[in-house]
Amino acid sequence: MRNIVRLFSAALIMLLLGCNTAAPPRTWQSIEKSLQTQLITAADGDTVSLPEGNFMFTKSLTMDGKKNILIRGQGMNKTILSWKNQTEGAEGLHISNGINIVLEDFSVEDAKGDNLKVNDSRGITFRRIRSVWADGPKTENGAYALYPVLCKNVLMEECIAMGSSDAGIYVGQSDSVIIRNNKAYWNVAGIEAENSKYVEIYGNEAYNNTGGLLVFDLPGLTTYGHTARVYNNYIHDNNHENFAQKGNVVASIPPGSGMMILATHNIEIFDNRIEDNRSVGVAVVSYELVAALNEGEQEQANAIGGVQTVNNRFREDTLYNAFPYDVTIRDNHFKNSHWFPTLQSDIGKLLLAKSFMNPPDILYDGIENPKRKDRNICIAEAADITFINLDAANKFKNLSKDKTAFACAGAQASR
Amino acid sequence: MRVRLMAIVMLSAACTQKPDAIVVAEEESVQQDLSGVGKLLLSDYGFFKGPLSRLEPAEHVFAYTLNSPLFSDYAFKKRFIYIPEGAHASYHASEVLDFPEGTVLIKNFYYPADFNKPEHDHRLLETRLLLVQKGEWKALTYVWNDTQTQAHLEVAGRTMPVQWRHSDGTLRKVNYSVPSINQCKGCHLKGNKVMPIGPTARQLNAKLPGADVSQLVQWQHDGILKNLPELRLVPRLAVYEDSTEPLAARARAWLEVNCAHCHRPDGPAKTSGLHLLADVAEGNVLGIGKAPVAAGKGSGGRLYGIVPGKPDQSILQYRIESTHPGIMMPELGRTLVHEEGVALVREWIKSMK
Repeated sequence: MRNIVRLFSAALIMLLLGCNTAAPPRTWQSIEKSLQTQLITAADGDTVSLPEGNFMFTKSLTMDGKKNILIRGQGMNKTILSWKNQTEGAEGLHISNGINIVLEDFSVEDAKGDNLKVNDSRGITFRRIRSVWADGPKTENGAYALYPVLCKNVLMEECIAMGSSDAGIYVGQSDSVIIRNNKAYWNVAGIEAENSKYVEIYGNEAYNNTGGLLVFDLPGLTTYGHTARVYNNYIHDNNHENFAQKGNVVASIPPGSGMMILATHNIEIFDNRIEDNRSVGVAVVSYELVAALNEGEQEQANAIGGVQTVNNRFREDTLYNAFPYDVTIRDNHFKNSHWFPTLQSDIGKLLLAKSFMNPPDILYDGIENPKRKDRNICIAEAADITFINLDAANKFKNLSKDKTAFACAGAQASR
Repeated sequence: MRVRLMAIVMLSAACTQKPDAIVVAEEESVQQDLSGVGKLLLSDYGFFKGPLSRLEPAEHVFAYTLNSPLFSDYAFKKRFIYIPEGAHASYHASEVLDFPEGTVLIKNFYYPADFNKPEHDHRLLETRLLLVQKGEWKALTYVWNDTQTQAHLEVAGRTMPVQWRHSDGTLRKVNYSVPSINQCKGCHLKGNKVMPIGPTARQLNAKLPGADVSQLVQWQHDGILKNLPELRLVPRLAVYEDSTEPLAARARAWLEVNCAHCHRPDGPAKTSGLHLLADVAEGNVLGIGKAPVAAGKGSGGRLYGIVPGKPDQSILQYRIESTHPGIMMPELGRTLVHEEGVALVREWIKSMK
């Protein structure tokens, strides 16, 4: 008997040594039917409690037309909702037409499309939600980890997003948004506000994405964006290769992009730490540049999820302004220990040719709006930051590193 | 010795276990209070007299049919409408008829064991209701028990394995999917309101088996339909299963009923610019020579919605022949390909010049 015990112990030890690379397998349970029923029958003011454990779902979990509902887990490491076995629907958790909905303290994983989508809702909070594709960055991953769209009064805080083939912490076509104290890594875009107005983005950390933090305004959507303040964020090491589906707007983001301001206005960027992004610290660009970079690409979208694709007919959208203006960049801290821009993109190669051994801290594409000469893009930063104005419209003929034309009138750098 | 062997077997079994093998413990059934959603039992409504599964309509309940039904994984359907005593619907030439408060549309889904003997050996799966209460429609579904004596309110949906002998003699099976209440809205939402899809005048302009007159005329006679114009002025959708009707009309009827609840100017797929109602003129809006807007991999690398004469170069044909969740059209309501339907569309595209 003792021998048997000894042998078993030996086997157990061998087992532990031999297979110690694999994490202990999760045991999965199902609460699919009871939870879906609860989300359908919930009454105004209800709290839906998610138990501790790992829960597998086969269909999208949906909640429509509810008011004053709190969906609360036991913590992002304790309550895991996974759609790894999904056979029906594209989203993981999908909430629509809600009023005052709070989601907190759980994890959402591995949906075929978007992990957590909320549309057409007023008052939506994401708090301490972790939303990931657990196998890491892959083109087949869903587009958005956290995806409020067409919403008003959005709060996203202390969330984690990882693995999105488009954007991790994303808000689109929404009004009055706070994105604070979140973490995003291993996404194509870490944090992105798109066609949204009155957006505050602060206290976040975005790293190891292709692009760290984006504020975009795109043509052809239901609404246009403006007015964002981006401050106290830590945007670093966003040098991941771009794994977005070709044709999507974010597929044109060069790896090594810290922040990108695209075709929007009334934007203030201050007090951020922007470090070690190999291509550029902050890029301010027009949609003309994006369209030019995508010329020849067939226009397409991933049919799963509503990702934004490059729109080659953007000039037909008469209400759309393809050029950034009223942008203030001040008092940020830049540092770059990389000597060469990344060669993974056309922009990287261009920068290597034009700005050898010195990726720019701030880049402007220099494409002028023929209808509005006064772009009002101003920079108040330490004297030693590197700047580049590409003059991209004229084949970089007047490419310049002189930022005096972009000095802020009146407002001065505080340090 | 044997013990040692066992230990090694244990060890190798543990090490070769696939990391992505996901084993999910079966869900415990939890009793949840659904009384706030709707009546708990189908029998509570009193739509049928006698044994429930015989679907013998009670008073104020009328059987009806549509010219061209939606494909639902080959399920058969028996339709009824309940109109409260003294109330009546009003005619509309193009939209769903205007039904009075309290109306219930009742659709029973079933599979005969042998499709060549459809009157025998039925298995009822679910009964879907659309009810209009306080001017608003709502959707409910009731799932039949194994003994076929009762159907219970189901809100979260479920999957039921079904098999049958098909009309071509082959044995077929499917994991039939009962929709959740929220999935019902996926097809039935118009704007942000639930609406019926089927009972338009052109769909209802049909004769019930054995009847002499259009059921619209019968409804008028029964006092449940008002404002019906002369029948020759009432539009009629083709019966796509009737091979004596013109090919184009049959194909267009199939496309309308399977696609146009979304692909219409006020539907969820309006952004695609592809409209498939049967009265849309043949042109770009119908997909002819139309490049995709947001089809993505759904285009299958094909360039246009419909290429006249070339079904295998047409995106529309590709998507109705697919069962991939990210490619197939329609997106909801089927897991199988409607072989007869796609063959019909194929013939139509082939015939186009």
